Amino acid sequence: MKIDLTQFRETFLLESAEHIAAIESGLLELRSRPGDAELLNAIFRSAHSIKGGAGSFGLENLAHFTHKLESLLDRMRAMEIGVSEEIIALLLESTDVLRALLDSDADSAMLETARRLALRITAYSGIESAEPADEPAVAEEEHEAAGGSDGLSLYRIEFRPDRELFSSGTNPIVLLRNLAALGDVSVTHLNAEELPPLSELDPEQCYLSWTLEVASSRGEEDLHAVFEFVEHLAEVSIRRLDADPAESAASAPPHRTGAAAPDQGVRSPARAAAHPRQDRESRTARSSSGGESSSIRVATEKVDRLIDLVGELVIAHVMTAQMVEGFTPDCLPKLRESVAAMERNTRELHERVMGIRMLPVGTLFQRYARTVYDIAQATGKQIELELSGEETEIDKSMLELLGDPLTHLVRNAADHGIETPEQRVAAGKPAQGAISLRAFHRSGRVVIEVADDGAGIDPRRVRAKAIERGLIPATAQMDDDQLRMLIFEPGFSTRDEVSDLSGRGVGMDVVRQNVQQLNGTVTLSSEIGRGSTVLIELPLTLAILEGLLVRVADRTLVLPLLTVVETVSPRSGQIQRVAEQGEVVVIREETIPLLRLRRFLRLASAADDGALRSLVVVVEAGRKKIGLVIDELLGQQQVVVKSLERHLRKVDGLMGATILGDGCVAPIVDVACLAGMNLFGLEAMARGESVTPISQNSPGSGERGETTHAMV
Amino acid sequence: MRKVLIVDDSVSMRQMVSFTLRSGGFEVIEAGHGQEALDKLKSVAVDLVVTDLNMPVMDGITLIQHLRQQPAMKSKPILMLTTEGLAAKKEQGKAAGATGWIIKPFDPEKLLATIARVLP
Repeated sequence: MKIDLTQFRETFLLESAEHIAAIESGLLELRSRPGDAELLNAIFRSAHSIKGGAGSFGLENLAHFTHKLESLLDRMRAMEIGVSEEIIALLLESTDVLRALLDSDADSAMLETARRLALRITAYSGIESAEPADEPAVAEEEHEAAGGSDGLSLYRIEFRPDRELFSSGTNPIVLLRNLAALGDVSVTHLNAEELPPLSELDPEQCYLSWTLEVASSRGEEDLHAVFEFVEHLAEVSIRRLDADPAESAASAPPHRTGAAAPDQGVRSPARAAAHPRQDRESRTARSSSGGESSSIRVATEKVDRLIDLVGELVIAHVMTAQMVEGFTPDCLPKLRESVAAMERNTRELHERVMGIRMLPVGTLFQRYARTVYDIAQATGKQIELELSGEETEIDKSMLELLGDPLTHLVRNAADHGIETPEQRVAAGKPAQGAISLRAFHRSGRVVIEVADDGAGIDPRRVRAKAIERGLIPATAQMDDDQLRMLIFEPGFSTRDEVSDLSGRGVGMDVVRQNVQQLNGTVTLSSEIGRGSTVLIELPLTLAILEGLLVRVADRTLVLPLLTVVETVSPRSGQIQRVAEQGEVVVIREETIPLLRLRRFLRLASAADDGALRSLVVVVEAGRKKIGLVIDELLGQQQVVVKSLERHLRKVDGLMGATILGDGCVAPIVDVACLAGMNLFGLEAMARGESVTPISQNSPGSGERGETTHAMV
Repeated sequence: MRKVLIVDDSVSMRQMVSFTLRSGGFEVIEAGHGQEALDKLKSVAVDLVVTDLNMPVMDGITLIQHLRQQPAMKSKPILMLTTEGLAAKKEQGKAAGATGWIIKPFDPEKLLATIARVLP
């Protein structure tokens, strides 16, 4: 039987990545709590776990490097080496190397870096530590040779266990059995002299000792190996009876191994037998699975509950099916009941399946401590990163897509937001700046906040730059918040003026793009001299949403309920036409741009939609409201979002579609997109201004029909 | 089927040991640290415990000490699974009452052979 363990490599890689992240955040915490023994222990354990697994998958460079690292960490947790900024920096560098070494294809330059860093680590730890398990391979070969083909040998074994033998879970019968597997065993003497009278006998003590003769083709070391685990609990002597007495006495004197030094001197061959011959084999067992397989780790309890639920569902289904089979009208109440039970089950199953995909944002937040540390080191700033709400859960796929936008926001805050200590002190602020990353739930959505107490964003500078870049006309009238939002426009920031720390050629527009992909919204608020706050609002999951079903012409559409503010039936005069460009609805003195879905989706000719029986659903995304003109409200329903893009090209204004209970396909309106595409069109219209679209390729007002429309 | 409790904080290590043991015809129960192992053993009896030493919450040595106090586990074999080739660790384990040890990284066949050596 060959047992292949390479299939667990992926788990190991995932786990190690988590360990590295934990080491990294641990190190950063250590700066403020240098004497925290538990923290040091946790860091050590993480390194230790990586080392343990690395050997199993033939990642020798990783095992070797982690071993050095572990030696240093071990001395640190023993408080023999103190925590200093240099050591933290060195160890942080090590985490980078660990990440690179996890990739078995690490190039030679990387290996050289690792080798150098290992030398520096060794210099710190002052331990020229032996490689783990590097001598047994040789020893094992020796003993294989020794145990070779020279026929049977006769051995005499004296086995005198201590009274406490049983306390180690050792059964002497098992030892004799193991010995019997190596050759013919005969008990020449069973010494029961120490056996007390029955009344005094303690069954948990061992009173017996044995003298055995074994005829075996194996070497002496193999026989010793049988007793390997009990050497501290027994006197064992093995003598070869048919050999040159002088030689055999020298090679295996009767001995007693105490707690002092069991792994030294003459014992080493026996010890070698305990080492696996793994080393050589694992080298060839290197897995070739390098692909990006996406996997989730799920708590067993969660899976168990799912299995229970599926069981209940199957039972409910069988019951319902039986009732339908022999249906009589008086079964109806019972049938209703079991259908209701199925519905409850289905709903819970649904929620729990979705729950499997939920991960705490803390796993993502962790990595930004390092980002901030690096920028602070490079710029001479003092920055503290505060995290809160790390336990807030969010869909796994969203978490992955959030990584880059958050990195960008955090870098931006550290690099551009927070001032130098001198500037801060001059402005009457503490020298140390603060960036906070918070996550929390708000009305069924997840909100992630990136805030800094830095210099803030000056709307006048934004305006000047936006005009210079041709994003807005020089005459545009916009308030400060609107101006600041311009930093999210494509083309606002360019590569040459962002520093190499926060830049990397990605602008804030990508942040907004990514968040919008997740059906989320980004808002920004800032105060000069006080700092900036970016809020990212996201749905809990991409796969399911609470929808408001509406009718437009003869079609059913779904509006995400979370975006719906209110529904009004406008009186005449409440809807006003503004300067030949668009319509607004005035609700409680608030002017809200209107979008006639009939016309926008080309569901009917323009002539049809003047009727006043229409309803207006006011929806909101990213603090922008628009009024959608529909024909009828149909009701509220939970819908499963299906992507349209697999079947059609990306359709502006629609985020997907769902299948209704009657089998019809209903498009789901993308409110964030509608609100976004009307940013400069409809809002300006609402104020009666004439505004040119910000650029050629950005969507203009929906009323002009420039965008792709859905074929519903 | 004989039951083995495997205690290790590393999921991949647990998976590997579990897989090996299942391949060897054992029923496997897993725990992520010593305390979890003690909790699980309240409701289930096992024939063998294989435990890591370095673990959060409760380490392997402490676990072995606890197990040796329990009537049900007093004389059951306990193997320590450890990367430490260090004498000190092994001695601590032996003193606590470990039956034997397995060195990580382990060879699957060797692991099964070692277990066969200590199981009645």
